[in-house]
Formats: sequence, C-alpha cells, structure tokens
Amino acid sequence: MKAWQRGLVAACALLLLFGGTAYAQVSGTTPVEFPYTGNRTAVWIIAQLHTLFGAFILGAPIFVVISEWLGYRKQDLRYERLAKEVTKVTVILFSMTALTGGLFIFVLLAAYPQFTAWFINQFHLVFTVIYPSLFISGTVVLYMYYYTWEIWKGEKKGRHIALGVLLILIGMVTLFVINGPTSFMNTPVKADGVSPQDALAGATLWDKIANQTWMPLNLHRIDGNVAFGGFITGLIAAYMFMGAKTQEERAFYDWMGFAGNLIAVGATLFQPFTGLLLAYEMCDYDFSFCPYMMADQLSMFFEMQGAMIGLMFLAINYYVWLSLKRIEGAEKIRMSILVPIVMVAFPFVMMVVMNYYWIPDPMSLAFLLPLVFAPFVFGRFIPVTVSARTVMKIGFLMVIVGDAIWLTPHGFAATGAKMLPELELPEAWNFLAGMPGKLSAIFTLVVITVFNYVVYNRAIRQGIIVWGKIDFTSQFVLIFLAFTSIWTMGLMGAVRSLVRKYFHTYGLVPDFTAESFTPTLSYSAWWITGITVVFFAVVSFAVILTLRPSASKNQVPEGSPVPARAK
Amino acid sequence: MWNVIKKLSIGLVVGLALVGIARALEFPFVFQVMFFGQAIFGAAVFMLLDAPSIGTMSGAKSVIAIVVFYVVLCTVFVSGASMWPQFDPEDEKGKIAKILKPKLAATEQGKAEELIARVKALDEQVKALEVRLMSLGSGQAVKESPVAESPVVTKAAPGDFMRMGEEQWQLQECYNCHKLKGEGGKKRGPELDNIGSYLTVDEIKQKITDPKSFMAEGFEKEWEKGKMPDKFKDVMEPNDITALATWLSTFKNTSVNTPKPIKKK
Repeated sequence: MKAWQRGLVAACALLLLFGGTAYAQVSGTTPVEFPYTGNRTAVWIIAQLHTLFGAFILGAPIFVVISEWLGYRKQDLRYERLAKEVTKVTVILFSMTALTGGLFIFVLLAAYPQFTAWFINQFHLVFTVIYPSLFISGTVVLYMYYYTWEIWKGEKKGRHIALGVLLILIGMVTLFVINGPTSFMNTPVKADGVSPQDALAGATLWDKIANQTWMPLNLHRIDGNVAFGGFITGLIAAYMFMGAKTQEERAFYDWMGFAGNLIAVGATLFQPFTGLLLAYEMCDYDFSFCPYMMADQLSMFFEMQGAMIGLMFLAINYYVWLSLKRIEGAEKIRMSILVPIVMVAFPFVMMVVMNYYWIPDPMSLAFLLPLVFAPFVFGRFIPVTVSARTVMKIGFLMVIVGDAIWLTPHGFAATGAKMLPELELPEAWNFLAGMPGKLSAIFTLVVITVFNYVVYNRAIRQGIIVWGKIDFTSQFVLIFLAFTSIWTMGLMGAVRSLVRKYFHTYGLVPDFTAESFTPTLSYSAWWITGITVVFFAVVSFAVILTLRPSASKNQVPEGSPVPARAK
Repeated sequence: MWNVIKKLSIGLVVGLALVGIARALEFPFVFQVMFFGQAIFGAAVFMLLDAPSIGTMSGAKSVIAIVVFYVVLCTVFVSGASMWPQFDPEDEKGKIAKILKPKLAATEQGKAEELIARVKALDEQVKALEVRLMSLGSGQAVKESPVAESPVVTKAAPGDFMRMGEEQWQLQECYNCHKLKGEGGKKRGPELDNIGSYLTVDEIKQKITDPKSFMAEGFEKEWEKGKMPDKFKDVMEPNDITALATWLSTFKNTSVNTPKPIKKK
C-alpha cells in the first residue's frame, strides 16, 4: 500500500469518526437490528477488532524504538532491521485501527443510538477534540517516523529515535484518554450518600476520566500492549523464518523471534498482577462484581482463562527449552540442587504464607523473597548440582501442578446458585479454590519462567548460540503464543464488558434490550475465535504485503547477515 | 515410540494414583476425572519435550501446516470452552426483566411501550365486544371470549410482602454473600437466619439502603472496606426494599449464630 493510499484510509476513518460523533447528536433515532449476530455481538466484533489493532499499534512502537536505540547503541544492525520490519507492518495496521475505529462508532450508533448519544455527550470534548487530535498527530508522527528512517541515519539517528519517543508518548496519551470513557462504563464516578445521577451531574470531565479503574486499566493495557506487540513480532518472525530461503535469513528471523518473544514474556510476567489490580479495584468499587466474576455467571470464563494462561506459560517455557537446544555446550550447564527444590516447594509454601499474609504485606515478602533468591545466594555453598535439562523438566512439572491448582474450582457449576454437593470441592480442600491457591499458582508460573530464563542466560554465557538452527517446532510455538495471547485478551475483554451486567454504564444507564444477559462461555468462545481469526488473517496479509516483496527484491539484506554462530 | 509408551504409562500410573487418593479423600467424581486428565496432559507435555525434531518446511507445505495448525487451535479452544459448565442465560433473563421493569416504566421508551400495550388491550376488548354484539344480534348463545387484561390491572397484588421479599432476595442475589436457610453465602457476609431477633424492619431497611449504618460483629474488616454494595437504594424500588426487610425480619432462628449488628449511624 502506498503512502497516499494509507493516508486515504486514515482520512476516511477520521471522517467516519467525526461523522459518527456529529450524527450522535441527532436524538430520536431508532436502533437498527443487525441480522444473525444481533446488536450486542455486532458491537462486540467491531470493538474487539478495533482494540486488537489498537493494542498492536500502541504496543509495537514501544519496543520498536527501544530496538532501534539498542541497534544504534550496540551498532548491531539486527535490532535496526527488526524495528524497521515491525514498523512496516505497524503502518498498515494503523490504517486498520482507524478504519475499525470509525466503523465502531457507526455500529454503536446504529445499534444503540440513545445510549451512544448520551455517552458522547458525557465525553464530548474527548470524542470531538482530544481523541481526533491525538489520532491525527499519531498518524502524522508515525508516517514521519517511517519515512525519515533512511534520511535520519548515522549522526542524525538521535533525531529519528526522538521522533519515535514522541510517537510512543502520543500513543500512551491516546491510550490513557480513551481508557477514560472505557473504564467509566464499568466504574462511573460516584459519591457517598448521593445517587449515581446526582454524582454524575456534579462531576467534571476529569472526574469522569479519572474514575476508580482508570489507572489500573492503563497499567494493564500498557503492559498488555507491549506483550501483544512482542508476540506479534514473534509471529512475523515465524512466518518469515518459514518462508526464508537462505541460512542467513533463517538466522535473522530465529533471532527476531527470540527477541520479540523475550520482550513479550517480560511483559506477560506482569500481566497477572496488573490484571489482579484491575479486578481488585472493580471489586472495591462494587463488591457484587467479585462474586459475579469469580463465583457466579462468569466463573467459568475464569476457568478458561486459567487454562489459557497455563498453556501460554507452558509454551513460553517450551520455547526456552527448544532455544536451549540450539546452544552448543548447553548440555554442560549445571545448576544448584536448590533450584529444583525451590521450584517444587514454591507453590505450597506460597499457599501457606498467603493464608496468613497477603502480598504486598511485608511479612509475605519476608517469607517469599528469601525463598526465591535462596538458590542464587546459597547455591554456591552447596556442592550438589543437577543438569539444566533436569531443572527445566522439574520446572515443567511444576507449571503443570501450578496450573492444576489454578484450574481447581469451588465446584463444577456455572453459577454458585446451582452448586450441588456432587459437584463441589470438599470443604477441607476449599483453600485450593481460594485466592491464596490462585495466587500461589500465578506466582509459581512466573517464578519458574524466570528460573528457566536464568538457566538460558547461563547457557548463552558459557555456550555458543547457533542462530537459525532452532527446532522447526519452535515456529509453531511462536504462532501458538500469538494466537493464544490474543484469544485470552478477547476472553478477558469480554469479561470486563460483561461485568457491567444489565447496564450500558454501570448503575447509570440500564440496557433494556432483549440482549441484556450474560452469554454462555461457549457462545463467547465462538465469537472470540472468529474475531481472532479475522485479526490473524489481516496481520498475515499485512506481513506478506510488506515484508515478502522487499525480501525478494533486495538481494542484499537490510540488516547485517547474522553470523550462524553468535551470541 | 518408546518415549510415548513410557510417558503414557507414567501418566496412567500417576493419574490412577491421583484418582485413588482423591477418592479416599472423598473428592466428587468430577474432580477425580479432572485430576486424571491433568496427569495425562502432563504426560503429553513430557512426550513433547523429548519428541524428535521436525524437519524444516517451506513453500506450500509450510502454508498448509500453518492453516492446519490454526484449524486445530480454533477447534481446541472452542471445544475446550464448550466443555466447561455453561451458565444458562434463561435463568437470568426473567430476573433482569423484573429488576429493570420499574426503571423502564420511568423512561420515555417505557411509557410509550406501556401506552402501546394499553392501546392493544383496549383494541382486543373492543374486538371482543364487537364479536359479542354480533352474536347477540344473530340470537346465538354467547361464549365468553378471553379478554386480554389491561396492564393497569396486572400490578402485583398488594400485601404479599413475604413473597415479594423472597423474590428480591433472589433478584438482588443476596445469597452470593449471605447464608440463609442453609443456602448460599461463602462467608463474605454474615449468616442471616436470626437477623429478625436483632433488627426491626426499619433497621434492616436502613442497613440495605446505607450499608455503613450497622456493622456485624466479626465483620469489622468487611465493614471498613465497604464490602456490602451501597447501590441498593438506587437499583431497588422503595416498596421492594420494604418487602425484603419485612421478609428478613421474620427470620428468628436462634440456633443459628447470626452475628450481632452494631449500630454505627
């Protein structure tokens, strides 16, 4: 796609956005009935697609710029090439974000005209001035960043990186701004002893934006977008690795997949905690959210989430396992016996500690931090060691145990109201289904992944990486991680929206339509899968469109050929 | 192949051992199946760890492999989600309609819908009268035709506060936090079987509309954190709050240890 074509798409999207906002001011319009999907699902599809494209274009620049800076600082052209290739895909997906954003406003207006008009009026300044201005600025800076790549090289590289930083800042502010109305729908402004309507009437725009879940949502989404961008980079690398014709190309895309995945994993490790913070603030706002999510209508959505995150952590560690195989000398790496001992003890110690002291209670950290650091502090004094392979296998075992704890429910019923004794966990074992159990499972997955990366780090310090020689299965692991992370994002996005129950905006605007109910997990899974497939089709198309021709045209690779045996 | 047999055998042994232990500890059958499944899944993971490398693919072969992989992923995710117990939306639809009915009635849309319903009912009555008059004119015996009731006369019968109160208990899902008659509650809120011995109808009403007005003994932390939502004064009609309070005030089972409420406001 050429620059003018991209510009045209962005302009159309902005017209849609402005037109939609203006149209929303016309009152008295009757809702359109979307065939087959129904109105709620139609909005769901477009909103989710917009969120996915948006997440990538906001997350990718963060590590693109970091990658460019690393390339400049280390004089390693691989980073530069990674940054440029991801930016090419980002530019295409930026247009898609704008297009789905405009479409989102129109579908929302068609399906829920009265609510949309009310909602836009609540955030009039945001939807008519701030958000479009940020979007236009983001578009301009992104294109400038892309087209000045070749001009601002060498001594002028600093300018280009500064432009990238500006792009990140605009992206961040855009995310923060749009998260205001999004979080407002869940947790609108409220005040003690005052009705929700009166509280809203007395609220300023800032009060509405800075609602109780705004900052937790910002943190969760920033972190999630970086992870998401990293996984998509892994996906791009996997596609390109599979299509590579030469060993040099394979070496580069093997490295790119590893780097993208590493960034994604780093961000993913924080995801459960920022997610918990968001859930905590929601429950603090209205405690009835908590049983609705964890024990009632949405409880099985969380079981599915546990299954997906367990699979993701298995895949993350499996990728490290496969990566280790391409390091010459890795078989000689040995670790202190304390590492597997801590791995095995961790979930159980954690569960006991969490029953008495919650994180971040200093007492909980007083128990857990020494346990985590014990292998590295005391390991050198204990002469017994085990192979890296054994350590990782024990790690896999504990990931399975951790996920089994996460998946153990209070009972196999979709709602607490229908719990029968033959479906319920024995009372003496209820701790497995309680928060201490779940937290111990989350921490186990995180700690074991960190330990495995420590093993990998030790291997690369003592051995030699043979880039491009990674087991071909690893490319499917990268694809799996991208698909699973996006699917999980869709699932949890659905949960966040459904928590509003029978309200468009919780406690303020009831949803009187016939679709005002909690859908089944199965129904939701069909749509989440469909949306993920559409997103993947577009991303795959964008990758083929932007990266394949350049690879075939350019005889000389843009980055330096990666030595087959390099660190 | 030896790798598969070995890991599968270990998985089966571990799975059967877990089932045996779970049965001895009186875990329900469904949990025993889950533990067995996890053991087999674990065996599959270990099979994968020691599986031989797959050869490099390229061209059409890799495209086909990717497409097949996506199809497998979609199938596994959708079927996996469908295997968990499914919440039946029908359980909720009636509840939501009842909760929102007074709110809908207060809106322009609700007023219009009520007006349309009245017009329809009157229209039906007119048609029924016409049929009756015609049949009287022809001298035939008249059979009473059912007349659609006007929405005006379909209001809940007054005075049936007990039934209304119990219905509100279900609609507002109070059972999610409070145990009553041995049902519901996960120790999030106090058991209420003896609440009628401690609080009057007006005091219960006060607690529902202003959760900070009373604190149950032993629930200081929950009271401090404001765990009981303060939304009921906004989402419930005054009549429904009175009905719920009246119904709760009839619970005077002294054999249940309902914590003593302490007046705070």
